[in-house]
Amino acid sequence: MKRQYFIAGLLAVLALASCDPFGYNKKKTNPQPVKQPPAEVDGWAPVYNTDPANAEIKSMPPRNIDKGGKIYVKGDTLYEVEAGKGIHVILINQPQNPQKIAFINVLGAQEVAIKNNVLYTNNINDLVALDITNTSDVKTIDRISNVFHLVDVNYPPGTGYFECVDKSKGTVVGWETKTLNYPKCSR
Amino acid sequence: MKKLNFLIIIIMLAVASCEKDNTSAASGDKTTSTSSTGQGGSLARFTTALDHMYVVDNSTLYTYSLADAAHPQLKGNINVGFNIETIYSYKDKLFVGSSAAMYVYSLADPAHPSKLGQASHVRSCDPVVANDSIAYVTVRGNTRCGGTTNALMVYDVKYITQPLLRKTVNMESPWGLGIKGNRLYVCNGYTGLNVYDITDPINPKLIKQLAGNTFYDVIMLDDLMVAMIEGGTALFELKPNDEISMTAKITN
Repeated sequence: MKRQYFIAGLLAVLALASCDPFGYNKKKTNPQPVKQPPAEVDGWAPVYNTDPANAEIKSMPPRNIDKGGKIYVKGDTLYEVEAGKGIHVILINQPQNPQKIAFINVLGAQEVAIKNNVLYTNNINDLVALDITNTSDVKTIDRISNVFHLVDVNYPPGTGYFECVDKSKGTVVGWETKTLNYPKCSR
Repeated sequence: MKKLNFLIIIIMLAVASCEKDNTSAASGDKTTSTSSTGQGGSLARFTTALDHMYVVDNSTLYTYSLADAAHPQLKGNINVGFNIETIYSYKDKLFVGSSAAMYVYSLADPAHPSKLGQASHVRSCDPVVANDSIAYVTVRGNTRCGGTTNALMVYDVKYITQPLLRKTVNMESPWGLGIKGNRLYVCNGYTGLNVYDITDPINPKLIKQLAGNTFYDVIMLDDLMVAMIEGGTALFELKPNDEISMTAKITN
């Protein structure tokens, strides 16, 4: 009989422990957890343009790779996007000694594809076709305006955390991935 | 329910033939170029196939004819879903990755892609690359998409409308990946690059880890690997016996 009381008591304790009738556990944890931004997380950051002269699509001398972005290879040439700014053209026929040969200035550029001697990229939200026969003097040969929406001036092209847009820094021409600390914006 | 984010990379296992097609143009002076288009990484929103270019933005798939390469013609657009991130073409199929699903489109009529199916249980936060009977998918946690799982997942996609998860391999920070012969190269973020033997495609065996750089994406060429790394690009020579040696780093 004693044993039965003991088991009943044990069950009661267990039951109380699990149902937490006095709300002890509630006091320990926040009942309405405030969504704290993580200390460090992969996310997006806006790329700004401040100089209207950058709006022109043109070949320029090779320049330093700042962030680097998406890559594309055709023949012995590597094209690397500089998010929001343009495309680095790099000869890689000698893998020991790659040579940057040009930078194609394209505001808002994020993507690249090539057929024959025509390079396709996005000039913000326009699809542009560039003749790259001579990479140090590319020509814009076609433009299809405002069909897709690759660049949103308010939100990044994906979900998750992002660095909030600060319009005082210029026009948003693209987004780049970035490791963020305590980001305040998310979508 | 926590959101997982998947980096879906589906790579054809009929690799030998596929790589020849894809890389003939990309290997430059080493082979005669037969392809008119180049090769992108697995993070792309532009892809070319069957004389067309396909573009995805956040919600829509756009089709352009490249019959006249200098003057792309918009053929149409299709509403795919939300949070579209990547597109990958393989043979006569398009794989579109979103944060909630992987969508598969048939290119039987390249000007008018038609939806074959989707795998909604797969959440893809980044690239989609394509495959025949096996799909290699990477799932990355602690990203802008949330989630905590970090893994390489092996899907049977023989029946393209019903991908079956066959294997999960834990990783640290998987991003893009590429395949070459019976080797699978998976970018493992800050920890480097993992090389797997996929002689048995369902059971990738880790045979090598390349540390020293943060890897995001790779393009596999004949005997060269072009890698998108933190701050730029690195070139690696692929030698026999799985030897991989960096030949150059382009970060400034």
